[in-house]
Amino acid sequence: MTRPPLDTLPRTPQDTGADRDAAPGARRRRRFDPLPYLLVSPLALFIVALALVPAVFTIVESFFRVDALDPPTRFIGLGNFRSLLHSAAVRTAAGNTMLYVLIGVALSTVLGIVMAITLQHRFAGRSVLIAVLILPWALPGVVEGIVWSGIWDANSGLLNSVLTSLHLIDHYQTFLGHGRLETIALIELVQVWQITPLSALLVLASLQNIPHDLYEAAKLDGCSSWAAFRRVTLPLVRPGIAVAMVQAVIATLNVFDQPYVLNGAASTGSSVMAQTYFISFQNLDFGAGYALSLLVTAATLVLSFLVVKFVHRTVEF
Amino acid sequence: MLSERRGVRGVVGVSLLSCLALVATACSGGGSAASTATRGVTINVALAIPSPPKASLAAFTKSTGITVHWTNIDWDSLQTKIAAAATAHTYFADATDVDWSRVGQLSKLKWFHPMQNYVDTKSLAADMPQMTSFTVGKEVVGVPFDASFLTTTVNKKMFADAGITAMPRTMAQYTADLRRIRSKGVVDHPLDIPFAAAEGLSTYWYQATAAFGGTVLDTHGRPRFTSPGSAGYKAAQWMVDAMRQGLVPPGNINTTDSQGTQTEMAKGTVASVFSDYSGNVGSLYDVPSSSTVVKQVGYLAPPGAGGPAPNLSNPDGIGIPQAAKYPVAAAKFIKWFTAADNQAAFAGLDGPDKTLRTYSLPSRLSAVHKLAAKGDLVGASAMSTMLASGTRPVFPGGAPSWYPQFSNAVYTNLHAAATGSLSVKGAIKAIAGTANRLASGS
Repeated sequence: MTRPPLDTLPRTPQDTGADRDAAPGARRRRRFDPLPYLLVSPLALFIVALALVPAVFTIVESFFRVDALDPPTRFIGLGNFRSLLHSAAVRTAAGNTMLYVLIGVALSTVLGIVMAITLQHRFAGRSVLIAVLILPWALPGVVEGIVWSGIWDANSGLLNSVLTSLHLIDHYQTFLGHGRLETIALIELVQVWQITPLSALLVLASLQNIPHDLYEAAKLDGCSSWAAFRRVTLPLVRPGIAVAMVQAVIATLNVFDQPYVLNGAASTGSSVMAQTYFISFQNLDFGAGYALSLLVTAATLVLSFLVVKFVHRTVEF
Repeated sequence: MLSERRGVRGVVGVSLLSCLALVATACSGGGSAASTATRGVTINVALAIPSPPKASLAAFTKSTGITVHWTNIDWDSLQTKIAAAATAHTYFADATDVDWSRVGQLSKLKWFHPMQNYVDTKSLAADMPQMTSFTVGKEVVGVPFDASFLTTTVNKKMFADAGITAMPRTMAQYTADLRRIRSKGVVDHPLDIPFAAAEGLSTYWYQATAAFGGTVLDTHGRPRFTSPGSAGYKAAQWMVDAMRQGLVPPGNINTTDSQGTQTEMAKGTVASVFSDYSGNVGSLYDVPSSSTVVKQVGYLAPPGAGGPAPNLSNPDGIGIPQAAKYPVAAAKFIKWFTAADNQAAFAGLDGPDKTLRTYSLPSRLSAVHKLAAKGDLVGASAMSTMLASGTRPVFPGGAPSWYPQFSNAVYTNLHAAATGSLSVKGAIKAIAGTANRLASGS
């Protein structure tokens, strides 16, 4: 249910011709009202001071050698970016992070849609269930890492205990740290647990905008439930899915807490953000840290743009 | 109409004030000129331990006129805070943590005031054997406030249950005893090694290297562990072999040092921690609420190549950041905080009201002797002997300025060797490559 005729709709006074038709004398010159600007100014200043200025600073400094142990600060062009590309740890972390993104975005989107559809229908205790489901999203990543370490732990973890009780394994298994893909998948599962509730709520908000008439019409046309989901629900919740995917992209590209708590600095799960931390605050090579942050920001923008381009559609009822 | 105008004016006023506040906050520098005042001032102390008892701090305030505002921040966050504040030349504390592993870095960066300018560090050194861990050349970056060092702990009951009557003195005896404990079925995996890719793995390797009779780096920061006959190489091989042969619980691949001691040694699932922290017997293993092995665990001088090996120092220090507002007042506090009587009180000599929670062992020998004499220190005799004659700095020439990068290479590669994704030879080669690159300054 896209909106191709939108361009033809009148939207502004210029479009309607109202302004053009009005007599010049009748046009009242509007006095400049500073109030809206004043009201917005604290927030605008806040954003400029805490987001834009540091962003510009990061971009500029990423082209400088800013190393507390190797002063003075000096321009080195693309030197920081070159050294990052040559770093085996950064390359491994980049590969790991792409896996985090792939697994995290796919799983959180699918599960978010499933949860949203489940929650769409009213039932007793629905509000309570929504409140409970949102809890993981509200928890800090470090806390989640600690909680889940009690599940994955190879010596005394809950999962080993359950699997042993069910006679599915005869001795405790080590889940994290051996295979790279297995380690990343299990760590990302923890992050999916955190970000999926927000995805579900975003999709649920879109779902609730869909008029029920459309489903009735689809039913009259002989649509099965599955066909109605594919041809009515999915196309109409694309804005919600797109926003959910963008937030998942941002969260997974910036994953730090869960891998760090669950797997330390091991290369089997280390993320790009962990490398940014090590480079900046352990090695005190802030220039390279800025450069890596900039690359992560660029990757976030590109992936978010792709999601918006290929998933988002303007929907109007 | 009038009230509406007033309302608009109010909103405009609040907006303007908010803008001004934001601009003022943004423009105000965090740094300020240091003051030599010591009376009627408040200093901020940021450490990764709880505050001393309120009464003790109140007594300090009464005698000096200095009020102490204490902030307890976790160690990792504190290091980030120190780096961020020093880089931005902003004030965040008058006295804060100086970690032994960062001493070389901090000395080169000049982020802290030299303590010898404020405290008579030379005369203190005799009573504080671990002062050397905070000294680079003639500069003392911080003053140790506890005497944490690495030592071996053993569950004596488990050793006895396996029929072991004499405690091991060499690595060969120690390894044989661990195998015996396992073969007798006392525990499945008797040895705790925290193989998670974290700092605890590095320090374990340093202590194991000392046990095999060597040091990790030479005084120029070059690796001394590349040949298979070197102590560092043997130590890495011993640790990885212990994992592969089942002496170490397989799940320890992702166990940190604190998890290892708290959930394995204290719960009786292992029989020994080769590189444990001094004080853990009294503060952890003998505490019924956190342990199932109360009165079963004791300290052991680390077994070595041909007899007991040195204990490596792992102390916590306190120093004065360059951006401190009241460095002289901070120095007065540090003198008080590290005074022998106060340290003995913090460790429990004067009763629970004056005890500093989680404080294990005073950095002053005289305070340790007092505790030992009164019988208030678990394992006092062994600990005071080890502290007086057995402790050595991890790096005799001081921790290199690039230590954090080196340590990262140590724990990531040893972890990889333990998982089997890298051979010991490959891990040693990678660690040595990092050390050589950093030592050469490239």
